[in-house]
Amino acid sequence: MIQKNLLFNKIFFLFLMITLAGATVSNISYAVEPEEFLKDPKQELRARDISKNVRCLVCQNQSIDESSAPLAKDLRMTIRNKITEGLTDKEIYKFLTDRYGDFILLNPPLKSSTMILWTLPFVLFFIALFVLYQHNKNSKLR
Amino acid sequence: MRKYFLSAPLIIFFCMMIVFYYFLIIKRDPSELPSVLINQKAPMFETTTLFDNKPFVFEEESGQQVLVVNFFATWCIPCREEHPYISKLSKEKNIAVIGVNYKDDSRKAIQWLNELGNPYSKVVVDSNGRIGLDWGVYGLPETFIVNENNIILHKQVGPITNEKYDDFIMHIENSIK
Repeated sequence: MIQKNLLFNKIFFLFLMITLAGATVSNISYAVEPEEFLKDPKQELRARDISKNVRCLVCQNQSIDESSAPLAKDLRMTIRNKITEGLTDKEIYKFLTDRYGDFILLNPPLKSSTMILWTLPFVLFFIALFVLYQHNKNSKLR
Repeated sequence: MRKYFLSAPLIIFFCMMIVFYYFLIIKRDPSELPSVLINQKAPMFETTTLFDNKPFVFEEESGQQVLVVNFFATWCIPCREEHPYISKLSKEKNIAVIGVNYKDDSRKAIQWLNELGNPYSKVVVDSNGRIGLDWGVYGLPETFIVNENNIILHKQVGPITNEKYDDFIMHIENSIK
């Protein structure tokens, strides 16, 4: 009975892993419509890369690459226009943040105002390490 | 001392709880984003007017007086809700309100204004949303106050309804000073 249970557990675990892996790989729900594509595949790839980092301001937790909101489409088109005009990625991000602020970027930039955001995880991690160390030392003494 | 350090995670956890609780109880609309255009120069644009299809240059209108710029569309339901307040505002304050018809069917917009009344001193067309993009528009209606030096002083995202009206008027009065 125990053997059978173990086997079942293993099968279940394998099934879970496959499902999870599948979910990660197949999570490509792009909203980009065919008529938006640029002719040059290199430029199109650049547009897609930028789009993935740009927040859709209507849905907020989707990138404009995934969102089918009209504003997201406008932004995708604008990015593509800027690319064909020959702007660099940096210039395109600047164009967007000048109008919509840093909020439009899904990755907050490293600035003095976002310093806490970027350093706090490390600070907390070291505090946790220290606490763990103290705790271990105490238990050994006992 | 050691005991004090051991309680650090608990203290941090409670601090975080307090912060989260604070953001939970304050009145805040998460869909309202801070605008980077506040205290910046209003983006210039050229387009055509809705009714007579004449060229419109924003630079010629602005820079002499305080302006209200209102982005609206017939497909936007809150805009209809806001409309009486825009009318009230333009009448009471005797202020120039420029309506930007955002990504809309011009025929429908004309019909809409004929039906509900036209509170705008000028209505201009933004058929593909380009002007809206320059002004950082993301959800209609959006209303800006531009002072006589062409600086955007205030932005209201969402309709100016009864509860927001007085606040908006106060912003206009502060801009005129």
